[in-house]
Amino acid sequence: MIMKNTREPVIRISDLRMKYGDKYVLNGVDLEVYPGQIIGYIGPNGAGKSTTVKIMLGLVEGYSGDVSVLGQSPSDGKVDYKKRIGYVPEIAEMYDTLTALEYLSFIGELYGLKAVDAELKGIKLMESFGLQDVSNARIATFSKGMKQKVLIISSLLHNPDILFLDEPLSGLDANSVMVVKEMLALLAAGGKTIFYSSHIMDVVEKISSRIILLDGGRIVADGSFEELKAQSHEGSLEQIFNQLTGFNEHRAIAEKFVSIVQEV
Amino acid sequence: MKDYRSLKILDKFSRLFEKSGIDYPVMRRILQTKLTMDARRVPTIITKSSKKKDGKGAPEGNQFIRSLWLYILFGLMSTPFILMGDNYIFQMSTVFGVFMFMILTSLISDFSAVLLDIRDRNILSTKPISRKTIAMAKTIHILIYMFFLTGAISGIPLVAGLIRHGVGFFLLFLLELILMDLLIVVITALVYLAILKFFDGEKLKDMINYVQIGLTISITIGYQLLIRMFGVVDLEVVFHAKWWQFFLPPIWFGASFESLLHGVNEPLFILFSLLAVFVPIAAFLLYIKLMPSLERNLQKLADPGGRSRKKKGFLLRRVNSLLCRDPQERVFFNFAWTMMGKEREFKLKVYPSIGLSIIFPFIFLFSDFSGNGSLDLVGTKKYLLIYFCAILVPTLVIMLRYSAKYKASWIYQAAPISDHAPIYRGALKACLVRLLLPLFILDSCVFMILFGAVIIPDLIVVALSFTLYTVICFACMRKALPFSEAFEGGQQAESIRVIPLMLLLAVFAFLHWLATSLDYGVYGYIVVLVVANLAVWKWAFSKAILQRGIQI
Repeated sequence: MIMKNTREPVIRISDLRMKYGDKYVLNGVDLEVYPGQIIGYIGPNGAGKSTTVKIMLGLVEGYSGDVSVLGQSPSDGKVDYKKRIGYVPEIAEMYDTLTALEYLSFIGELYGLKAVDAELKGIKLMESFGLQDVSNARIATFSKGMKQKVLIISSLLHNPDILFLDEPLSGLDANSVMVVKEMLALLAAGGKTIFYSSHIMDVVEKISSRIILLDGGRIVADGSFEELKAQSHEGSLEQIFNQLTGFNEHRAIAEKFVSIVQEV
Repeated sequence: MKDYRSLKILDKFSRLFEKSGIDYPVMRRILQTKLTMDARRVPTIITKSSKKKDGKGAPEGNQFIRSLWLYILFGLMSTPFILMGDNYIFQMSTVFGVFMFMILTSLISDFSAVLLDIRDRNILSTKPISRKTIAMAKTIHILIYMFFLTGAISGIPLVAGLIRHGVGFFLLFLLELILMDLLIVVITALVYLAILKFFDGEKLKDMINYVQIGLTISITIGYQLLIRMFGVVDLEVVFHAKWWQFFLPPIWFGASFESLLHGVNEPLFILFSLLAVFVPIAAFLLYIKLMPSLERNLQKLADPGGRSRKKKGFLLRRVNSLLCRDPQERVFFNFAWTMMGKEREFKLKVYPSIGLSIIFPFIFLFSDFSGNGSLDLVGTKKYLLIYFCAILVPTLVIMLRYSAKYKASWIYQAAPISDHAPIYRGALKACLVRLLLPLFILDSCVFMILFGAVIIPDLIVVALSFTLYTVICFACMRKALPFSEAFEGGQQAESIRVIPLMLLLAVFAFLHWLATSLDYGVYGYIVVLVVANLAVWKWAFSKAILQRGIQI
């Protein structure tokens, strides 16, 4: 059902489990991801999406099961595979006392680029994102959308093979959103793998070639949008999401909420 | 980005780093970035519009470096120990004791945040950098500051030693200072590592605070033991060797001066000298081995903690409504109360000084208890030493304005608050009740056991003095809304103001002493203090004072 690729998977996860305290956040996740795929990785809050990504990036340890990213296990202590990964975290954490250009050249160098190359590439990318005027201003003074652009650039400087994006569009204006969406499609067409987590179902529905829905630490749906639509007899990804996560009381909750607001 | 001189010096050792499996260019780049950021700390976010803060054109000077003069002063004060004679074991142990005490307390309160920083994880750990390199960058970052700190505190003593005791002394002193720095950083890091290893989640965060208090108390006691060790007999300082001296590193350092420069052949001294060299080096090697595991365990600090037990008590609400009459003030009392309890960085910075405040009164109490049987305190006025409890108040009042999430302070502007006075008042009261009251009660109980119940009226005087003192401290400081500024190296800049305020505490103790020498003076003084409290609490939050603040 999933479009099988003749190439080797770039990510392979089997029976991944992770426990915080006595609560399992991941409960046996199996997953294979192939080059050129745009994976829409969705699920309710606390479903374990970020944890999965953090495990693949080697930020979280103590899991059980097998994880292999670009043929390397994150837990074996080697870091080479990270050279081929770009990451946009959900919370825009940056060293914001640096200027945008300083930050980008710093990150580029950490990925192994030469200082001059990193800086040049940073300048070019900022220009194409319309940031040329602020490239020497401190990130702390930026608006949310500008910060997000810097973050996206910083994840792409080293031309990575896998991109982990966590709500990459947050704060961007409508025009920039179109640019980024188009960019992702082009990157995927060029053989990059994109792992896209988001809560905005319309976007996920449109850009993903494959959608994975996580709930309660398990994968509850996996396939292209058309396949999921056929399975669940629902019209939109939002409805599929509601159905699969067993949520159908949004109206009742909203009514209750508003009535509480109006009490005072 | 500037290229720093400290990094150029570091370049000389690049081979050494490469050899131990560290990616030197990357580490250097991280350090350069960190130092640049340290130099750019922005002092204020919500600046009072009237005050023209030079926001953009602010010079890139490191706040930390500017605050070093305090340490130079301490160095100057310990210089007489070097000049006074040839009894190296006594002089140098004392000097090293002072230095270790100063540097270790500074490390625990100011650099714990660097050591336990998890903000870096998203940025650095997702890049192809080995843990070892990240860990080493962190270590060197701290060591660079330690170097400045040590330089400031030991500069004058070093020169004095060179003039008075010659080159050999100078070189040995210098070498031992380096070893001492290593030892200090390593000990602190290893203690944190141990806690990170054995604890999880919320408990871990609490444990770190307890350990900080514990460390502060134990180095203070260690320092006392050190001084107590030398019996001063007829002005001749005699050294008595005891088994527990093995646990006092300053003695090791002092002993090596005796054995190397005076040629003392006593086996104990030679043993101590060996310890002075080998323990820091061994500890550092162990540290290099274990540091990556510290990095790994740091993730635990970021893990979602268990559900916090809900126990915001009935009692707290009663206390709140008793202390705050204004509803808005109550809100900010609660807010400050929760923030002080929950914000880890606040706790990291403040709790060590709490440990110090608990123990301070007792240090002076027992300082002339020289072991000749029972200590006769009943009937004396030494209970006045309890005033030392409040020595942390000026620092507390300063710290109250900092927060890691200072940007959230937009809420003060967005919410319909017409008058800022209730904000300050609520926060200050919460600070008193949450942080000062418990340690005052603890110390009072012990004092009551030692001095008898007759001191109860005096303790009331002390309590009233403390509230008065707190509000005076507040009035003297630059005003900034609670939790509205970033914790950065800058806090120390204000330590200048802390010193006169600490002297004010002595004035309070003196007035109390005067009152006790009059018949019924204590009761009269209580009345005076109540009136003064009422007046000053009103005055300090008046518009005029809040707006301009009074300067000392």
